[in-house]
Amino acid sequence: MNADLGLAAQLAANGLIAGSLYALLGVSWGLIFATTKIFHFAHALTLAVATYGAVLVVERAGLGLPLGFVAAAVVGCLFGLAIEVGVYRPLRRVNATQLNVFLASLGFLIAGESVLLILFGPEARALPGFAVEGIAVGPVAFTTIEALWIGASWALVLALMAWLRFTRWGRAIRAVASNPDLAQCVGVDRARVFVLVFAVGSTLAGIGGALIALRDTASPFMGVQPVLAAFIAVFLGGIGSIPGAIAGGLVLGLAENMGGLFLPGHWQGVIAFVVLFVVLVVRPSGLFGAR
Amino acid sequence: MEFWVHVLNFILLLSILGVSLNLLLGYAGLVSMAHGAFFGVGAYAAAIVSRDLGVPFPLTLVVAVAVTTAVAAAVTLPALRVYGEYLILLTLAFQMVIYGLMLSWTDLTAGRTGIAGIARPAVLGTPMTTPTQFLPLIAVLTAVAFAVAWRIGESPFGRVLKALRDDERATLAIGKSVLRYKVAVFAISGAFAGVAGGLFAHYQAFINPFSFTLDRSIFLVALVVLGGTANLLGTFVGAVLFVGLPEMLRFIQMRQDVVDAVRNVIFGGLLVLFMRFRPEGLVPEHSRLGRRRRPAPPPPDVSGAVVIARTARGDGATALVAQGLAKHFGGIRAAEDLSLTLPRGQVTALVGPNGAGKTTVFNLLTGFLPAETGTVTLEGRDVTRLAPWRAVRAGLARSFQDVRLFERMTVLDNVLVAIPDQPGERLGPLFFAPGRVARAERDNRERSLRYLAFVGLAQRASDVAGALSFGEQKLVALARLLATEADVLLLDEPASGVDPQWVARILGLIRQCAEAGRTVCLVEHNLEAVLAVADHAYFMEAGRIIAEGPPERLMADARLAEIYFGKGRR
Repeated sequence: MNADLGLAAQLAANGLIAGSLYALLGVSWGLIFATTKIFHFAHALTLAVATYGAVLVVERAGLGLPLGFVAAAVVGCLFGLAIEVGVYRPLRRVNATQLNVFLASLGFLIAGESVLLILFGPEARALPGFAVEGIAVGPVAFTTIEALWIGASWALVLALMAWLRFTRWGRAIRAVASNPDLAQCVGVDRARVFVLVFAVGSTLAGIGGALIALRDTASPFMGVQPVLAAFIAVFLGGIGSIPGAIAGGLVLGLAENMGGLFLPGHWQGVIAFVVLFVVLVVRPSGLFGAR
Repeated sequence: MEFWVHVLNFILLLSILGVSLNLLLGYAGLVSMAHGAFFGVGAYAAAIVSRDLGVPFPLTLVVAVAVTTAVAAAVTLPALRVYGEYLILLTLAFQMVIYGLMLSWTDLTAGRTGIAGIARPAVLGTPMTTPTQFLPLIAVLTAVAFAVAWRIGESPFGRVLKALRDDERATLAIGKSVLRYKVAVFAISGAFAGVAGGLFAHYQAFINPFSFTLDRSIFLVALVVLGGTANLLGTFVGAVLFVGLPEMLRFIQMRQDVVDAVRNVIFGGLLVLFMRFRPEGLVPEHSRLGRRRRPAPPPPDVSGAVVIARTARGDGATALVAQGLAKHFGGIRAAEDLSLTLPRGQVTALVGPNGAGKTTVFNLLTGFLPAETGTVTLEGRDVTRLAPWRAVRAGLARSFQDVRLFERMTVLDNVLVAIPDQPGERLGPLFFAPGRVARAERDNRERSLRYLAFVGLAQRASDVAGALSFGEQKLVALARLLATEADVLLLDEPASGVDPQWVARILGLIRQCAEAGRTVCLVEHNLEAVLAVADHAYFMEAGRIIAEGPPERLMADARLAEIYFGKGRR
């Protein structure tokens, strides 16, 4: 019985660790989706490209890990901006349907992943430079990297919420997200708000990618799984709600890991999607959505 | 030689799968990110019944089709309530669940090891082992798949799918059950994927989960979109390119992994460029290629007036009565204690300032919004709780302020699709009573041309609707509304936003409809138009009817004028 409780505590901790990162990624994608209504699948590519930026800075150039994180943030930000300006904006100009914009995003993702593969090879790369240590709290064991995941994710998510709430640009974003036409009428420049959410969301995705590579590795196709988790977090929580995406990420992380109590480990990958399936059937507006 | 036959077989298998996806994506406008998974379900179903139950070849294919059809229909259960981005996510999730199950449900699927030694089909006692021996079988089934898909896509059923793709709300508003068509097209698409999967399993004699990944699904979408949506020839072209391109690259001595990567870069890049510069794909929907081009028949010389005569469902003095309708959005009162009567064969107008709730009344009457209280009675029958498409079938149809034509369909198809009870909308008659379907289609085309002649647009019948001017689109919308054969017509701003000479024409047509016995209710801002056409008018303000009477009397009322135009005017 005690061993079971210990296991449950460990799985809950694992869920919290994964869930924090999902929350960060969910917020980064959800901000873009809620504001621009673009199903931005190429976010997965932004994450991978930014991570390669960090790996190159740390591994090739031999600069320290903090600079690697700066590189991930900057590369992510610029890359996300490039997609908005270079791919999505021209599509909006010709009034492309939402489906066509999604298809372009998909095309950009599969092309970009393969470009990464051609440039850097298919093998996984580590992001070195972090002195990993184990931490044990009672029955729960985790590493300093995982502590950093939790700390960094929550710091970034809370900072973003504060920024959206208290700054002029944050309010402009929320205005465009809730009613683009009305926002335009009262003088909010929609194009600039779009650029802004891509910059912010992509920066967060870049940092998230570097965090992932710190514990796991970087590879050309690393972005898809975490970004799928981000999609799910957003839809679980209810579109347009930042707190919803955070809660959705946590629920997802916990469900995936706590599922280990009842199912063999290799079923873990299925759980996330079953949870989503059930929520979409039972409550399409999301667990915390208003509509 | 065998190698090239193998390449050809692969192109054919992939084009069956592409056709399956094109029916969904191209015709019905529904995204599936799970076609790799459907393909896999078919392959595993065939492999498993062959391995565990010793089921012989053609039967394994039947099992594969049955299983994928059922699975695909099950996926639509949540997808019926969600659309657009939800459907993308839902099918993505489904793809991942199925792939995960293939990997982890090892008792059934043998996990990543896969299932080997799947029985080869035997014809006249000799098993097929080489690609050349397989080719006739695969070619015949591909031909059958294309024929069936073509029959479905070009039928009245396919026409409704295209309508659904272009505008779901408008499809409901012409009396088609969107739900039924969504389930049906997903099931059909699943059946095709089952054929491709079952064949694939027997052809390879070995399957593992890595043939059925998310990447497979993504590339299928790319292949169909690049080839051309809603055109089956385009899908074949897409499959040839997708399989052929890497083979060409291999000619210039590239390494396998680089070949795949280069192919992905080319396909992904093309997808981005096509969305910007040629979203219709290589072989567009209305291309002469891959499609029999019917010449538009000459406009019938009969006048359209015959065709608009009402279809006589009831004969009382009133066609529709609404009583005590109410609707609130949060704290906002959109409609409160709303009662109105539409006298048969007359034109009734709803007028009032912006935001008075006029369009809301139409939505409440037709079931697009559920009323909180109140009843709607049509020809003595309670239609309050009917779904919008059922209300249309009962004889109550509405148009939209923003027209909502099916923009990628021809003008003729826009009208044709609205005709009720076409035998070709059901799959049974479509395949087993082709004579009846063809006769009905001929009659309905002629009938549709008459509706178009009535509004004066018969000569535009074969133009794509999106290319028409706004005024012409309003006329097509009127013809489409008449084609539903509803007796009670609710027209939302039929004359707004068009030039004065068009206004006169539209008003004339509305009068003719009323004189032919149809009952008309219209919302209109143009008060001169209301004066010219309406027999009776209701004046609305803030969700309530505050006055009614002959239009000229309402307009002479200083109090109403003040509400309508604001204080200090006049």
